[in-house]
Amino acid sequence: MRVSDEALLAGMASGDADATAMFVRRHQARVYGLALTVVGTAADAEEVAQEAFVRAWKHAGSFDPRRGRASTWLLAITRNVAIDVLRVRRDLPVDPYAMAELLVAGTDDSDRRADSDRISAALRSIPREQAIAVVLAAYFGLTAQEVSEHQHIPLGTAKTRIRTGLARLRSTLEVSRGRPDTMR
Amino acid sequence: MGDRTQCAELAELLAEVATGVASGPDRARVLRHLSACDDCRRELDDLTQVADEVLLITPERESPAGFEGAVLDRIAALTPPAEPVARRRWGFWRPVLYAAAASIFAIAGAGVAWQATSDERELAAAYQNTLDVADGRYFSAVDLVGMDGMSAGTAFVYDGSPSWLFVVVRDAPAGTYDVILTAGGRSATVATCTVDQSTCSVGVTLDPGTYPVDEVRLVSPDGTTLRSEQG
Repeated sequence: MRVSDEALLAGMASGDADATAMFVRRHQARVYGLALTVVGTAADAEEVAQEAFVRAWKHAGSFDPRRGRASTWLLAITRNVAIDVLRVRRDLPVDPYAMAELLVAGTDDSDRRADSDRISAALRSIPREQAIAVVLAAYFGLTAQEVSEHQHIPLGTAKTRIRTGLARLRSTLEVSRGRPDTMR
Repeated sequence: MGDRTQCAELAELLAEVATGVASGPDRARVLRHLSACDDCRRELDDLTQVADEVLLITPERESPAGFEGAVLDRIAALTPPAEPVARRRWGFWRPVLYAAAASIFAIAGAGVAWQATSDERELAAAYQNTLDVADGRYFSAVDLVGMDGMSAGTAFVYDGSPSWLFVVVRDAPAGTYDVILTAGGRSATVATCTVDQSTCSVGVTLDPGTYPVDEVRLVSPDGTTLRSEQG
């Protein structure tokens, strides 16, 4: 029987080395994939991914399953570490705009896990410029100002794209779940 | 339920707060409002969940050889979570206060033997002088700990003119944390602290009458919480 992520996190919090190893093994490909997508180089991505797991281990006891899944919690930690690196290391060879286009297009989903199907479909179902604006903000940590400057659009338009895109994603996901209150 | 006019105004900003890209002032405005508006807090929670779900589109990539071992080695080198570090509590300054009180007592009561050491008297006098300079009445410090019991920072509270709170975070996941202060049974978000490279610090003046403080709590959008512990 597969042990749930939540159970593994509980084990990590109590110092269970086996649970920690299993959690790392289960999520390392995705964590490393996120780190590599955001920072762009293998060496930096490895450091980011390692740091993400260390922080997850440190804070496993504060994980609250009512606020979301363990996988998104871990990925949010990874994104935060990666964005921290990105803000310091301006020399990294990253083009968030090109990556956002690829992520939204998702022409090959074979390297994605099945639990991404709904969000991938939802991103493709909303206007492309809104989907890209949401990915730039939520995935790469770009502010509305940065999106505005890069895409040569007014700041208000960039803000609207992020806001409307996120709201539409939520509506789409609620419909696909069948119940509006199952996001939590 | 909060002020509906303000809800409508701040609804514009919730998506940027949810994705973590709002400016500091915008974020502070929203967080101040959230402390009194359950509807907007729920809305922000929902949007944050959606924003985090976007991360699931991440493609998997084979991690470098030895990755798992390297992570486990780093974790093994750290203090096990089952053995929390010694915690300082609100009573951190209590010995100093006792010494200060003792010094006052000794001065008032001639002939009363006072057993404290010279160092303690000097420390007590310095503390009392510090309070006197700014009309202070109390100064205390407390550890901020995560739910795993590990020390992650310190909160300092000063009761004077003005009263203030200063928070130092030494080890926490990146993110912008609400600094929520509870006093007299009422809670309010008084500041935000953006953790960068595991650390942040923030100071804020407090309204008169805020003291005594019941609790200081830091909460990030992903639910990470650092909390003071009452002695």
